[in-house]
Amino acid sequence: MAVESPVKIPALDYEKEMKRWTQVYKILTEDAPKIEHSPREMVWRKNKTTLWHYPAKEKKYSTPLFFVYSLLNKPYILDISPDTSVIAGLTKRGYDVYLLDWGNPGYEDDDISFDSYILDYLEKGVKRALRHSGAEDISVVGYCLGGTIASIFASITDLPIKNLIVATVPIDYSVGVAPEKWLEGLQNGTVSVDRWVDVYGTIPPALVEAMFRTLAPVNVSPYVGLVSRAHDSRYVDKWRRMDKWLNDSAPFAGAALKQMFNDLMKDNKLVKGELVIGGRRADLSNIKCNFFAVSSANDGLIAEGQSLPVMDLVSSEDKTYKVVEAGHVSLALSGLFAPIVDEWLSSRSDLA
Amino acid sequence: MAKEKYDPYKGFRELTGMWEKQMNSLLLSWSDNTDYIKLSNVGLQTHTRYLEMIKRNQEIMANFMNMPTKTDVKNVAKLTIQAEEKIDALEEQIWNLQDSFAAINKENMEFFGELVALSKQMKEELDNNVKELREAKKVKSDLQKLRKELSDTNELKAELQELRRELTEANGLKLELQELKQELVQYKETKNQEPVQEKKEFELAGAGTGK
Repeated sequence: MAVESPVKIPALDYEKEMKRWTQVYKILTEDAPKIEHSPREMVWRKNKTTLWHYPAKEKKYSTPLFFVYSLLNKPYILDISPDTSVIAGLTKRGYDVYLLDWGNPGYEDDDISFDSYILDYLEKGVKRALRHSGAEDISVVGYCLGGTIASIFASITDLPIKNLIVATVPIDYSVGVAPEKWLEGLQNGTVSVDRWVDVYGTIPPALVEAMFRTLAPVNVSPYVGLVSRAHDSRYVDKWRRMDKWLNDSAPFAGAALKQMFNDLMKDNKLVKGELVIGGRRADLSNIKCNFFAVSSANDGLIAEGQSLPVMDLVSSEDKTYKVVEAGHVSLALSGLFAPIVDEWLSSRSDLA
Repeated sequence: MAKEKYDPYKGFRELTGMWEKQMNSLLLSWSDNTDYIKLSNVGLQTHTRYLEMIKRNQEIMANFMNMPTKTDVKNVAKLTIQAEEKIDALEEQIWNLQDSFAAINKENMEFFGELVALSKQMKEELDNNVKELREAKKVKSDLQKLRKELSDTNELKAELQELRRELTEANGLKLELQELKQELVQYKETKNQEPVQEKKEFELAGAGTGK
């Protein structure tokens, strides 16, 4: 007669374990996955910046969408896999999508400031998109720092912007996820990055990643998460794509970084309405188009308090604010952003 | 009992998550003080000076060895960027010209359209004028007829006036005749009375003599 052990030890699923460790081995030994983009064509190229056009599957709206992504990361997060691509999600819903890819600034691009990015690249890019699409007006979507840039642009441009959407956007730099004394040190001049930026010219991707890393120096949970779910091929594929993107930061042009630290973070000029871009005052109250701001509830990089003030700063009569149960990256990575944009934008875009 | 699957990673993952969160909070709270910030700034400035020194020495060495430096390559790259900007500016000017031409063409087309409409209108007006002229001619001939008739009528009128005059004259004659007739009647009456008178006078005269 068998005697049951008082300690219950459940049996291991050996098949699952084999699959798990085979996948882990593959991840460790294989190259990073190649990111295949949705069908697109190049409309314009200037220096390192490229304007891409993703045509609608079946064009439903004549008002095209223009994506402005952050300068710190690469925009392929918006089109990272066929299943969860934000851009593909929008082209399937009948929108013509344009994406301004800032590219990788080199050593020679150290003098590209926010002024240059906005006036020489973004404004010209929007002009090209308008001309290429033949549309009378356009909807601009800014993600993360791209949202800040899009907001500044919308406040100074004469181009016909019908709708402005910003997601996980840092506007008010008086608050943030960084420790209080860090911000204080930056704001009162205890820390100055000007000379450091000048010596590098353009900040290399490794240092950009390091800047992010300072906010969460211990970072083992993604790898533990991977091991724990390595038997799930779909999860592994998604993880690998995200890992590739996270370790693929863009270099940052020195002049723009100095402007970000000094004008935005130190002096908080955008909120005060004191930011001057190309001789034009970037006053957010100049924004009168339809406005939609999206924040992520679990955002580890941009606190909601950084985004929320924008609602009081813009003058738009039609303005909406929405908090989504997602993280800073997962909003785009999961493709969740596409239906959110479509839900708000469909009634505010002209039908084709 | 043996069929129950055991996932040894679930608890590990949860523990790691908590540990990571706590470690990050700990590190950030340690660094959240002014001394750390000042120390970081000293480190940053030292690192910067060190890099500046390396760069300066690199430039000097490269200059001695007659080798292009990263700065030289940067300057060349800037030239190509400037050229690209010029091409972009030219392209935009061509756009403006194209737009102007398109606008002019549109205006011309509108002008031609207006011209066509105007010539059509003129043709219609010409037809109308011809028609009106024809009618005017007809009216003129009618008028001439009328005029002729009027002149005939005038002649008739003159004749009538003459007749009237003659009639008036005839009336005068008639009056004269009447007067004459009256005078004749008077004369006759007078004549008839004269023998009686003469007779009376004779009688009167005779009576006198008879005595």
